[in-house]
Amino acid sequence: MVLELTLEDKLYRTRFESDPDHSHIEVDDEVCRLCETRICLSICPAKVYTPNPNDESLIAVSHENCLECGTCRIACPNEGITWRFPDGAMGVKYRFG
Amino acid sequence: MSDDERVQVDVIVVGGGPAGLSAAYVLAREGLDVIVIERGETAGSKNVSGLLYGTVLNEMMPGFYERAPIERSIAKRSIGFLGDGVQASICFGTDEWSDPPYNNTFMVYRSQFDKWFAGEVEEADAALLEGMVVDGLIYEGEDEQRKAVGVNIRDDEDFYADVIILADGANALVTSEVFEQLNMRRGKEPQSYALGVKEIIGLPREKIEDRFGLENNEGMAMDLIGSPFEGLVGAGFIYTAKESLAIGFAAKVESIAKCGRTPNEIIDGFKQHPQVRRLIQGGELLEYSAHLIPEGGYRAVPELIGNGVMVVGDAAGLVNMSLYHEGSNLAMASGKLAGEVAAEAKQKGDFSKRTLAAYPEKLEGTFVMQDLKKYQGVPEILDHIPGVFAEYPARACRLLVDYFRVSERSKAVIQKEALKNFLRGLPKIQFGRDLLRARKLM
Repeated sequence: MVLELTLEDKLYRTRFESDPDHSHIEVDDEVCRLCETRICLSICPAKVYTPNPNDESLIAVSHENCLECGTCRIACPNEGITWRFPDGAMGVKYRFG
Repeated sequence: MSDDERVQVDVIVVGGGPAGLSAAYVLAREGLDVIVIERGETAGSKNVSGLLYGTVLNEMMPGFYERAPIERSIAKRSIGFLGDGVQASICFGTDEWSDPPYNNTFMVYRSQFDKWFAGEVEEADAALLEGMVVDGLIYEGEDEQRKAVGVNIRDDEDFYADVIILADGANALVTSEVFEQLNMRRGKEPQSYALGVKEIIGLPREKIEDRFGLENNEGMAMDLIGSPFEGLVGAGFIYTAKESLAIGFAAKVESIAKCGRTPNEIIDGFKQHPQVRRLIQGGELLEYSAHLIPEGGYRAVPELIGNGVMVVGDAAGLVNMSLYHEGSNLAMASGKLAGEVAAEAKQKGDFSKRTLAAYPEKLEGTFVMQDLKKYQGVPEILDHIPGVFAEYPARACRLLVDYFRVSERSKAVIQKEALKNFLRGLPKIQFGRDLLRARKLM
């Protein structure tokens, strides 16, 4: 039912060809450790950023879910996110867009 | 590598969206050697958009809508207000919008549309290189003489050109580095962005036409503001395609950051509003997407040319964020003009910044800069009337609903009470001031 989908369901229906070995996103642990807003956790429409299970003060990145909007890059107040374009033809592949 | 070994063309276009493809189309038709470099597997595969206004495209390719993959032409529009459990809307249209050129307003899926457009550009003899990432530009010279001469392709050989047209879109990583390198002037105000989030929901054609009151290939575009967007500087939309709906919202990134909800929670809240739910229920989710929209308007538009480069479309922040929310048409207008100026430069054999200056000069005379100028105050206005997207629309709904409440009390009492409810807790001076400000959004 279209009204009861989880974010995981939604992402499952979007086409990706992710690069398992190379992440196009890197976070600077030193910036994350001192970050007060942790805005990446809530601003990303695909929940690419989550608290690192091994160290809650750090951020884990699931780059394979990235919709490539670039919002995190703009929202991170301390420029802790390095965001590059994924390699050619990799990443999200919208069928509708 | 020696000079005669390097791949040298007249123009390189970075990005195969509407702006870049328009530039390439014009250039190829003028007989110039042009390469378009697109990082997606196919043009459009990274793109997301709302409506397509087709005036510029129709100048370049008359009657394009007969051949292009158009989902529906927009015959009806509406502006809707949503409150908690209440709604109000105005819906308008004319029979003329059902006939060519369809008020130049179309619902398209960009992945399919851009792919078609790119095909037309290739047909005109431009080279389209898909699945290739431009990591940066190549420069020569120092200080004032420093000039972009080529592009660096990730894991591939470099390309060189007399002019590079930067059309890398809203998430303009390439353009932003060029601004540093060539010391180009930024806008008077920093660029600000909205995040757009959208879902494509499949529904049978007949259901769509019945629910929205449409015939044949007519489409409807709904803009919605109100309670689902509480705390946001943003609004929702629903557009009809042939056998699917596009539903979503766009809101200023800072306002999403502050509102305490995630983008996914915002779109879910919007979908669950009873009036919205009725339109989409029974459908099947086909895709979930997100994209940035530059919204700073006129005051955030940077210098559009540098030595060897021109900036077009979203990369230049050319988006009219008023009630019209027009972006791709401005992108195509800027791309077309940049292409024409590059073709003139080639003819003169002079690619200096002075010659390229014809692009921003001519752009000032078009609807692109005229509209951006007219609406230059919009970003500031929206920041200053937080009530416009949620509180006022919800109150307006309540006023109508209360006014038409049927009971055995006299109409005079009912009306007085409706007005009293409307004004309850409303700071009157601020309301007056907000009304005056909101006028400028039209």
